[in-house]
Amino acid sequence: MKKCHITFQLNGITREVLVEPNQTLLQMLREDLSLTGTKYGCGEGDCGACTVLLDDEPVNSCLILAAQADGHRVTTIEGLADGDKLHPLQTSFIENGAIQCGFCTPGMILSAKALLDEQPEPSELDIRTAISGNLCRCTGYQKIVESIKAAANNCQGES
Amino acid sequence: MLLPKFDYNAPATLDESCQMMASYGDRAKLLAGGTDLLIALKKKTLTPTQVVALDRIDEIKGFCSDQDGLFLGSRTTAAEIAESDLGPAGRVLSQAAAQVGSPLIRNLATIGGNLATAMPAADMAPPLLALQASVVLQRVGDQREVLLSDFFISPGEQVMLPEEIMSMIVLPRLPEGCGGAFEKLGVRKALERSIVSVAAVISMADDGHTIQGARIALGAVAPTPMLALDAAAGLSGKKATAKNFAAAGKIAAQEANPRGLRTSAVYSRLMVEQLTIRALTRAYEATKL
Repeated sequence: MKKCHITFQLNGITREVLVEPNQTLLQMLREDLSLTGTKYGCGEGDCGACTVLLDDEPVNSCLILAAQADGHRVTTIEGLADGDKLHPLQTSFIENGAIQCGFCTPGMILSAKALLDEQPEPSELDIRTAISGNLCRCTGYQKIVESIKAAANNCQGES
Repeated sequence: MLLPKFDYNAPATLDESCQMMASYGDRAKLLAGGTDLLIALKKKTLTPTQVVALDRIDEIKGFCSDQDGLFLGSRTTAAEIAESDLGPAGRVLSQAAAQVGSPLIRNLATIGGNLATAMPAADMAPPLLALQASVVLQRVGDQREVLLSDFFISPGEQVMLPEEIMSMIVLPRLPEGCGGAFEKLGVRKALERSIVSVAAVISMADDGHTIQGARIALGAVAPTPMLALDAAAGLSGKKATAKNFAAAGKIAAQEANPRGLRTSAVYSRLMVEQLTIRALTRAYEATKL
């Protein structure tokens, strides 16, 4: 198995990494780069715990080979805050009590970020559709939806 | 779940990828969106020694149209198709694409992969059958166009040779006055494999009431996605009325060949009937747009 040399943007910083061909993007992030905010859930694309943004689109990082990140932009939950200042979605999740065990939170927030970046004023259906690939086993969906709505309203207020 | 060992290849052109597939043969697997392949690799149901990724081949991504029809690159994602305006008939395909997996899956999953995996419940297969699609299969020095109705063989099996790559899906231009609609039944709204799906496309005569022709395709109720030919033929020359749509639903239910694997065959047929009526009704509404 020949290793693959890849260059990609990770949370805004250019990274060069040597990866095994059979490594998933999720494994590379967690095991090689120690970015454990991205969670390993089902490993089959059903739960969304491993959600990252690939060129700003939310995807399951357990279904992508690390080698496929070559030349692309990857954003993980660690890339959202601006220094000590949390992203409005992160703040909103905390303020609205949307985090129970927290395992689904990084994926939920990244799916929500992709939605708000494209659609600053989403309807409730838009929100529920956008997070339909992210499962919350604590079943705290109501608070999550409310948090995304509140974040959308806050962002609107700011701009 | 760890992936088995393989070498990763990322050719830059279709020619290069055809050459790789020719030399690797059945030791290689094509990687498009990866939403099926990676799971098969993890479960070790597929154990290729070579993976040929189509990621860099932009010539098979996106779509264009001319007087003959619409050409969809095989690497176009479900999300891209779901967001496209494909017209009153083509919406049958964008509606189905919008129901593939979840938003996360749709950003990766490709139309080519959805067909090549040849699953009976593949969401985009019935709409493409109803739209009379064909697929272009490419290999070194040769290409052939296969009607989608001749493409599927059995669950997981289709006519592609190990060295072939699907480059394009061709949708012939339909006459004015066509409309399409897609119906999917599942137990939940996302991440769901269809229990039954139905795609309908109808074309209306100039009077706006008489059906000139119809095509109805069914998913998940036979070993392969299938056309309900008798149900569609029965509508030709008839008026677009609830009674005629109901009759077509009954015929489609008889044509379906459910094996009773995920739900009982009786239930599948009942749902084929209802979903066919709904799809035809909505397809007719779309003709007026």
